[in-house]
Amino acid sequence: MVGLTIACVDGDPEARRETRDALVDGGHDVVSCGTVAEAADLVGTGDVDCVVTEYSLPDGTGLDLTGLIRERSPDTPCVLFTDATPDRIDSARHEDVVVEYLPRDTPNARESLGRLVENVVAQRTQVGYPLPPDEDERLAALAQYDRPGLDAAETFDRLTKLARARFGVDVAFVGVVDAHEERFLACAGEDWETLTRENSMCTHTILETDVMVVEDVHADPRFADNERLEELDIEAYAGVPLRTPRGATIGAFCLTHGEPRSFSESELADLRRFADEAMEQLELRRQLDETGEEGDPTTPPSPGTDTDRPAESEPDPETESATGPRDDHGGEQP
Amino acid sequence: MSVQRGGYTFEGLPLADVSPGTNLLVTGPALGGIRTLLLRMLLRGDRREGTLFITADTDGPTTLSDYAAVGGEHDPMRVGVVDCTETGVDDAGHNVHAVGSPNDLTGVGIEFSSLYESLYANGAERVRTGVYTLSPFVVYSSVKPVYRFLHTLTGRIRTADGLGVCAIDPDAVETETLSSLAQAFDGRVALRAENGETAIRVEGLSDQPEGWHRIEV
Repeated sequence: MVGLTIACVDGDPEARRETRDALVDGGHDVVSCGTVAEAADLVGTGDVDCVVTEYSLPDGTGLDLTGLIRERSPDTPCVLFTDATPDRIDSARHEDVVVEYLPRDTPNARESLGRLVENVVAQRTQVGYPLPPDEDERLAALAQYDRPGLDAAETFDRLTKLARARFGVDVAFVGVVDAHEERFLACAGEDWETLTRENSMCTHTILETDVMVVEDVHADPRFADNERLEELDIEAYAGVPLRTPRGATIGAFCLTHGEPRSFSESELADLRRFADEAMEQLELRRQLDETGEEGDPTTPPSPGTDTDRPAESEPDPETESATGPRDDHGGEQP
Repeated sequence: MSVQRGGYTFEGLPLADVSPGTNLLVTGPALGGIRTLLLRMLLRGDRREGTLFITADTDGPTTLSDYAAVGGEHDPMRVGVVDCTETGVDDAGHNVHAVGSPNDLTGVGIEFSSLYESLYANGAERVRTGVYTLSPFVVYSSVKPVYRFLHTLTGRIRTADGLGVCAIDPDAVETETLSSLAQAFDGRVALRAENGETAIRVEGLSDQPEGWHRIEV
């Protein structure tokens, strides 16, 4: 993995230059700075894949910086590349930020740093949520449904309004889960646009083979301390994965409510139907886009089109992964 | 670093060799022999291997003496402990590094990375890492840093062709939590203790014995 954009943070110009040179020699772009404040601004642009920082900085520590990064761009990995030994690092004020650590006196430190940075980015080792085992293939599949011109907003607006009325819930939405955030294609009852993956309940739904129901968010340890859900007034949730004909899960059709509640079998059966309908709409648009058909994409498919079975023309994600997914590190703005 | 060929072996246990870079979740009741099972899985195949413990339920000295009791040789150059108990103290002579609390996942991760690098620097060709147990980390921390910690730990082990063995008592955490934590692992070794008999079963890994197999703990 080459061509990453890495922020190199060190108050000592000479040490900073050495670290920068090591990373540039590895084929990466490096932006350098000397303070916590400058580095936090750099990461806030959303263009940084990884941060490599000395522990001791003129206006704080590398862990202070990591704390800011966890607030602004939580998935961005941080590596402490430092002369400080573990006993000199005060982690007590930042017990939950979790960083990689590489001592500068490690044998072949320059090469080790390059490998470490590439690994933490490729393996997404500092994300605060579970990852599906087929994450790379899943993101490649999502890219096939996430192209300009495949807009299904009006259709999904209708579907989510219908769902909200059918289930009597506060919010019904269709969301796709990309590399770093969930994006809401339609959201009846609220105007949510994005939610970071670590705060999104759909992050967990895409791990399921069927519906995920959380009758009381406060009673579920996966979500009980998620302050963002509280801000959004989410107390109950039901979501069905959106699964492509080839089996990749790209998002979910979901309901949320401001009070704990249960969902009957009949309701869950209907929720699955809503999810099936949403996925068929996405699949139809993908097929129309691929065959280059012009005209109104909401026109029903021609006779013989069967969206219930795998489309012969759906690209194999394994062979088309060069088309990367949106890679937006920006913060949530629901 | 050079890497030995072949998988990790488990002498005396009904487990086939496991590929380098594998992370295993070991589940079972806390008092049912899971600790002994983990210690035996961390016995070095030969002296070129290293072993690293991250311990939150028992302190460093106890861990090392229990390791010796199942046949583990304590070579401080190749074996070390990250002691996360609240009573833990540094002991350079025995390569024990105290963090002070399982809450401090940042500190645990830094000590782990430092010790992991030092074992390789001391000549270990590959390293077995054991966590006993994950439960205190899960119980005392919020879930996001626990996922970060687990991804960091398993990522390092995967990249370095190491072996990761993390124990957890399913009764100590919610079912949903255990299920989502399991995503970070390549497979599971389940232990059960019933009617005075202890048995294990491997799930999620190929080329392993099928079904339950009795073990002595």
